[in-house]
Amino acid sequence: MSAPDLPLPVEPEAVPAPRPGRLRALYQRATRSGALLVGLAMVSVMILCAIFAPLIAPHDPYAQSILHKLQGPGPVYWLGTDQFGRDVLSRIIYGARISLFVGFVSTALAVVIGVAIGIVSGYFGGRVDRLISGANDGLMSFPQIIMGIVIVALLGPSIHNLILAITITAIPAFVRIARGSTIAMKERDFVDACRALGFGNGRIMFRHILPNIADEITVLASLWMATAIRTEATLSFIGLGAPPPIATWGGLVRDGFDNLLDSPGLSIFPSIAILIVMIGLNLVGDGLRDATDPRAPT
Amino acid sequence: MRHLLLASTMAITVALAVPASAEGVLSVGMAAPDIGQVDPHKATTTQDKPMTGWLFNGLVRFPPGSDDLGALEPDLAESWEKSDDGLEWTFHLREGVKFHHGYGELTAEDVVFSLNRAANPDTSSFSGDYAAFEKVEALDDKTVKITLSAPVPSLLGLVANYHGGNIVSKKAVEELGADFTLKAVGTGPFMVGEYSPQESITFDANPDYFRGKPKLDQIVYRFIPSDSARDLAMQSGELDVVYGRQDQQWIERVSAMDGVSVDVVRPAELQNIHFNMSMPPLDDIAVRKAIATAIDRQQFVDFLGDAIAKPAQSIIPAGNLGFAPQDLVEKGDPAKAKQMLADAGYPDGITLKMIQTSLPSMLSVAQVLQAQLAEAGITLDLEVVDHQTFHANIRKDLSQVVYYSAARFPVADVYLTQFFHPRSIVGTPTAATNFSHCDVAGDEIDAARVEQNAQKQLELWKTAQQKIVDEVCAVPLHEQLIAWAKRDNVDYGYDLKAAMHLGPIINENTTVSDE
Repeated sequence: MSAPDLPLPVEPEAVPAPRPGRLRALYQRATRSGALLVGLAMVSVMILCAIFAPLIAPHDPYAQSILHKLQGPGPVYWLGTDQFGRDVLSRIIYGARISLFVGFVSTALAVVIGVAIGIVSGYFGGRVDRLISGANDGLMSFPQIIMGIVIVALLGPSIHNLILAITITAIPAFVRIARGSTIAMKERDFVDACRALGFGNGRIMFRHILPNIADEITVLASLWMATAIRTEATLSFIGLGAPPPIATWGGLVRDGFDNLLDSPGLSIFPSIAILIVMIGLNLVGDGLRDATDPRAPT
Repeated sequence: MRHLLLASTMAITVALAVPASAEGVLSVGMAAPDIGQVDPHKATTTQDKPMTGWLFNGLVRFPPGSDDLGALEPDLAESWEKSDDGLEWTFHLREGVKFHHGYGELTAEDVVFSLNRAANPDTSSFSGDYAAFEKVEALDDKTVKITLSAPVPSLLGLVANYHGGNIVSKKAVEELGADFTLKAVGTGPFMVGEYSPQESITFDANPDYFRGKPKLDQIVYRFIPSDSARDLAMQSGELDVVYGRQDQQWIERVSAMDGVSVDVVRPAELQNIHFNMSMPPLDDIAVRKAIATAIDRQQFVDFLGDAIAKPAQSIIPAGNLGFAPQDLVEKGDPAKAKQMLADAGYPDGITLKMIQTSLPSMLSVAQVLQAQLAEAGITLDLEVVDHQTFHANIRKDLSQVVYYSAARFPVADVYLTQFFHPRSIVGTPTAATNFSHCDVAGDEIDAARVEQNAQKQLELWKTAQQKIVDEVCAVPLHEQLIAWAKRDNVDYGYDLKAAMHLGPIINENTTVSDE
């Protein structure tokens, strides 16, 4: 992988080659409380539900059956039906597709954009850094939901705009953490070594610094994904999500509100789905942090 | 001394307690995030109209709780006479009627001003109703003469306490300018108090009301869009009167609550789906016929329940004078509709955009429609916006399909003129609510308006309906009554059989007692 015009046989590394003992220690640290595994299991189940929704869902989530409206949980409709006679369980399963998709895509976009900006800002410092940090602090000073509401209200409710809104609100957090870690990292010897070898700035930033700050970003990303899913649910709840009849978790909770007194399950069941993913992602984030925190006891 | 103190404390307590119980504040819950206006000449929405019945008077009025055209009785006018040809009407005003907030005594000038304002498209949503008004003049301080260019089907209806017939204070309109929208000044039993955006508006008793000081002190009109939140507030006694969720399930559940009763009242609001014929593919009648075939109209009645929903039989409400049942597609047939679309050149179906209000009752109906059309390969994209934006945007000619629910003054002329007359096409200077750009029945509507022979008039109205149905300008879904609930300690002071203003009239006789 090393550049062919360079004489050195190995590239400078900050991360030591994984030794068998280190991996095991990492695994032990991560799984000591079992939280990471539980979290992974919870999130995986939801992701599988989303992927295989057409196979798992017992009914068509959009098929209305007015004769069967507002039924309680039972053998045919396990979690009951909504005011149009649509199966609640199937709608929750299909809702996972939108909610997880929006959460995943917007977090991934925010990571790519935010980390790139953050590394550049931290690496170059000076005026570039002041400009980026200033803009970033400005963005961060808006409460996330308010920012999301403004964007969706301006552009109109749709899945694309939801993703855009959540991405924009999530970028500043990644800019900040990437910048901070880069500033700490660029003083390290291996970066000086890279410079001495004449590596370009781009190569140093993204081939050498990025892998060394990746663990912190991963932890943050898993927590932000939870936030992104929650933001999607919140925006859908206040009517700024995907338009009907598309099932999203936040939208299901909101639609259920109109019939809360007749069938409380309409709002409660999708809330539980949101809760499971929130807890799962937070457990994963905590587990990853424990596993990668250098100050944690080995 | 101590006893004296105790006794006087008790006396004060009792003294305070007595007015507290007599102090009647009536809390009304409405299914809307906010109001649009209290200006009666602009108020067309479900949340705005009920208030106009509390604040204003017309020259004549529907007796409280009635929607009977034949029962119109004196209100601001004590008496009236008309010329033999029906073109000149003279009204004699009641003495000593005072406007709210010290805006002085009602004079003929105010009536002239109000009716001209109602006839002006810039200041009124109902200007089309007054097209035949040639001249309104004040003969003296208390006498108003209306001269018509042609007879109208029910002149008294146009000067009743409804829509454009509500009388406002000339001085207040001129002084308040744009502020009049939320501080409208009338002569009714209640007057505008405080307005808190997205929360509530209060109406204080008008101590100078000409029928006597109201027994209530205040009405608090609260905006609570969530049906469940309103129901809970009702159950806890926080609200005395609520606008219901408009379906049978709600009626049954709320009727079963302790100390609460539900009134299901006329007028039935007709729910029409208007097709915007200025936009492809709806400019093709074959497409419109296919859509009409895809709609299962009976399903809407089943969905809402027959306690509140009735099948629609024409593109005007069944309660209207001049209504004639039409030959409509009874049972939806998605397969046939699909074939019709393919024959019209759309084998892969069509996609239509519909701007839709987030008001739960209407959004539910739209979603049933969406599912029905989907079966025939018609994608109905709902652009859900708040109720005010919905009303504004559909009037800007922005929606391909418009779902509109309305009751109007119960003479065919009004509904036909507002929704299907070429003059009323949205996006034009004389626009009212002709969302479909329907222009096939203008001649019949105009001819019927001035026809003196009642039989011929009915024939013309019938032909107009026939032509509009044949052209598929709109498809009627169902007719829907209006459900309101009240706690048993509320007495409206009359028998609530109908609510022309879509909500109960609250007047000088309305009381709320301790439970």
